[in-house]
Amino acid sequence: MIGVGKAKQYANVLDKPLSRGRQEVSLSAFAFLFSELVQYNQTQVDNIAELERRLEDAGYAVGARVLELLCHREKGNRRETRLLGILSFIHSTVWKVLFGKVVYLITFCIWKDNLYQKRYVADSLEKGTEHEDEYMISEKELLVNHMGAFNCGAFVAGIVRGVLDSAGFPAVVTAHFVPIEGQQRPRTTILIKFAEEVLRREARLG
Amino acid sequence: MIVCVAVVGNQNNPVYLQSFTEADDALKLHHIVHCSLDVIDERVNNPKRSGPTLNETFLGLLYPTENYKVYGYLTNTKVKFIMVTTDLDVKDADVRNFFRRFHAAYVDAVSNPFHVPGKKITSKSFAERVSVIVKSFGSTAA
Repeated sequence: MIGVGKAKQYANVLDKPLSRGRQEVSLSAFAFLFSELVQYNQTQVDNIAELERRLEDAGYAVGARVLELLCHREKGNRRETRLLGILSFIHSTVWKVLFGKVVYLITFCIWKDNLYQKRYVADSLEKGTEHEDEYMISEKELLVNHMGAFNCGAFVAGIVRGVLDSAGFPAVVTAHFVPIEGQQRPRTTILIKFAEEVLRREARLG
Repeated sequence: MIVCVAVVGNQNNPVYLQSFTEADDALKLHHIVHCSLDVIDERVNNPKRSGPTLNETFLGLLYPTENYKVYGYLTNTKVKFIMVTTDLDVKDADVRNFFRRFHAAYVDAVSNPFHVPGKKITSKSFAERVSVIVKSFGSTAA
């Protein structure tokens, strides 16, 4: 007969057990919340720089909590003590949980003592910057930039800063637009500049 | 029987301390928790050079005092959980299980957007969950 399957048929829809639900939030709900956040901050400030700073502070609070949550959910809970470790944690786990995808490319550029060649990780194709303490996460279509005319990447930069700070790697994180030929939308890049003590500790750990 | 649990932040600031005995010796428990912080710092800064213990969260038995045993657990953000118990025969698996549930409750309490990281946890639901976990620890260990 049609409709007879393995699933138990409930006479009343109220008797069905509640499903656990997918671990996702709808885009429209997030868009609504984020637009309210931006609008509220717009009424409080006079210029763009202040707005970006406030978005970044909001992101910082999210980042600190995301780190706690992810470290608890991950099985075998390792604490990241190395720079590369925490960066790869961000660009895989954090991005996957927050945005549901892996970052398109990640570029490392490490110059120490004028001796070294650039080191590339994953399939990166870009050249990095000249400073030894700067790292970049580059994203083609940052979710928060789909809405709004200006750079809401400051929010994501704040999240990254929150994660790094809570993990013990103080850094300054900013978001920049990088124009690419062949695409009308500029690519968003998150620039991470680590503090002096982090580099010293990393050098000491060898 | 668990005597007290404590959460200490990454700057060694107290975030939560709850005692579960009738006697009012909160000061002594503060003192015990404070001493155990030194043991944790020593374990973290001079690890035994074997690989797996370098990044472990569960620190195990920190030190036994007169009639207490103190267990420690370190999270990824350098937040420390301390558990003081008077049981003589505590299974390792039970303590790990306890800390796992405690960590879940802690993460939920910190995810509160009104909670300022570093300040004391004032959430009543967190206190209730902790007391439920503590009660069930006693029964499963038996």
